[in-house]
Amino acid sequence: MTTTTLDRQNGAVASPKRNPIDWSGAVLNGYLLLFFAYMFLPMIFMVVAAFNASPTPSVTDWQGFTFKWFEQLLHEERLISGLGHSLLIAGGVIVTSIPLGLAGALLLTRLQSKGTTLLYTVLVSPILTPGIVLGATTMIFWRDALGVQAGLLTATIAQSSFIASYCMLMFMARLQRQDLVLEEAALDLGASSFFVFRRVTLPFLMPTIMTAAAIALLQSIENYNTTFFAIGPSWTLVTEIGARMRFGISPVINVIGVLFVAITIFAATVYVIAGRAKERA
Amino acid sequence: MNSLIKSYGKGLTALFVGLTVVWIAALIVLPQISMVDRAFTYEDRGGAAATLSLEIDRAYQEVFQISTSLDDLRAEKEALSSGGSAASQQESVSALDPFATPAPTPSQGVNMLDPFAAPSASGSSNRTAAQIEADEAPLIAKKSELEAKIVTLEAKEKASTDTVGLDTSYSLKNFTEMSSVHLQVFLSTMIYALCVTVMAFALCYPVAYAVATATSKNKIAILMLGLLIPYAINELLRIFAWVMILEKNGVLNAVLDMFGIIDLQVGEGFRFVASNGAVFTVMVYAYVLFMVFPIYNTIDTLDKNQIEAAKDLGASTFRIHWRVVLPHAKPGIAVGAIMTFMLSAGSIAVPEIVGRGLHPDWFSQVIYRRFFEADSWNQGAAYSLTLLLACVVFILFNMAVFRVGIRDIAK
Repeated sequence: MTTTTLDRQNGAVASPKRNPIDWSGAVLNGYLLLFFAYMFLPMIFMVVAAFNASPTPSVTDWQGFTFKWFEQLLHEERLISGLGHSLLIAGGVIVTSIPLGLAGALLLTRLQSKGTTLLYTVLVSPILTPGIVLGATTMIFWRDALGVQAGLLTATIAQSSFIASYCMLMFMARLQRQDLVLEEAALDLGASSFFVFRRVTLPFLMPTIMTAAAIALLQSIENYNTTFFAIGPSWTLVTEIGARMRFGISPVINVIGVLFVAITIFAATVYVIAGRAKERA
Repeated sequence: MNSLIKSYGKGLTALFVGLTVVWIAALIVLPQISMVDRAFTYEDRGGAAATLSLEIDRAYQEVFQISTSLDDLRAEKEALSSGGSAASQQESVSALDPFATPAPTPSQGVNMLDPFAAPSASGSSNRTAAQIEADEAPLIAKKSELEAKIVTLEAKEKASTDTVGLDTSYSLKNFTEMSSVHLQVFLSTMIYALCVTVMAFALCYPVAYAVATATSKNKIAILMLGLLIPYAINELLRIFAWVMILEKNGVLNAVLDMFGIIDLQVGEGFRFVASNGAVFTVMVYAYVLFMVFPIYNTIDTLDKNQIEAAKDLGASTFRIHWRVVLPHAKPGIAVGAIMTFMLSAGSIAVPEIVGRGLHPDWFSQVIYRRFFEADSWNQGAAYSLTLLLACVVFILFNMAVFRVGIRDIAK
């Protein structure tokens, strides 16, 4: 599959009718077309407006094709330093949430006790907690108990609290498919348990660690609600975008949108193709 | 515990347990406890120390206002001496105006500024340097007087201990003092969040079903891409795209103009942003995909032969869904509903950006204001706790209705 099929995907969704008498199938396909139009039209408007010379982002009032908003983005220092902050936080989040999630998953999959469900509930609770509550509690705790003012550190910690839970769930899914025979064989042959963990379990988990790191990176950069509360006077790319949008919209935001859309389409295509290649293998 | 030591050895087990304990304590439980603690701690701001600090704040504010008016006067004087045009003077006056206008809440500082703002706005062009200096003199005097007052007040504040006046005690007051407006906002937020959840389910169930039952591999791949791409694009950018559509000179009004329903040339056009409908639409758009994936995952595991069998036995489409597909999809529906409800009830991005602070509040905005504008962290904590409890109630409700356990929910 090439990326050109992507552009035509709305048409491709509706076209192949397997059975001409299958009315419910036709209705369903028509509905899918509408749904994807609902999903994609706003994005298309956003992308198109990034190339419009009009100073307010618009697709209806066309004032000529331009790249000047891309150029202007390079001069937006707060947005660029915000991206720096975002990456810094994301790095911190990956470094904290992968070990935490891994430890939690390893405990939960092997622990045979009645307390497992309680432990599980506590460890996944951050996912089910509203983001603003996570941000607020972290901000309160770190200021009240440790005297740390809200900033990049508290934002990192607040994000880690729920991203670690996502990582844990991914590790658990992987560990449930683990064949324990390999580990047992290694132990029987006299390997130490640390050696087995390092040479058998960890390599088995490696692909998931990579995926988890990628997802943690995305979630961290994307996050608005939690960060908004926990970041204090500092800012990230996303909170800065949010702050600007409250005072009206500018084509520079569209340019960021274009970049995000391009990166996402690329990553999603790679992900789907890789998944299908794996299925075939 | 023995099973752990058997598989990982003592050292690694200790490491994993240690990490998990740190995670639970530092990132989950202790922050929650400190929030609960604040939520039930009532700060009495009516005490002597509180009044004192309020007085100091007010004095500082007045000093600030006086210095800005002095600066303006000085600028005016300079403009006069350099023979500046009337236009530039006009500008300096208009720069002053915004300071005089925020007067709906009558405070000392503004009253004091008013008599000065009035003459300057009316006849600024023919004021002489002498007149300006005459205006300046009382302001300078007042400023030094205030500065002296601040020094004595601050000395007094330092002398009295922190505990005097700022009474803190455990009580339910932070909750019970929730004004009727806030209560109303809370209830309407809950109702809206429920509506968003129901809407999102209605919108995405056919999609999840279609993707899960699609037979051609290419079709599945394309459909998955179509869902993944908007899902992965930043929430704020998705909201932004909609703001462009709903703006006064946005796409929707242009389309209405094209059909001749309104005429943009004469300034007609609906202001869709900052209305409840807009907030609602954008919220459904922003969170619908959190409903699609869990439902898709459960329908995907349904043995499609069951659907075929039901069809062969003559069941109607409605009956197939009601008796075969939906019961199987229960855990997915529960997860989707919980995520969508939690996200929309706690959303601050959508109401802040689409609402522009003009449409009726969302509860998350009230929480934000308690924390950062009213500077009342305890009440903010109480409100956050209320929101959290509402979400817990919703989760328990879903678990009961769909008969699913916590393990089915977080997958």
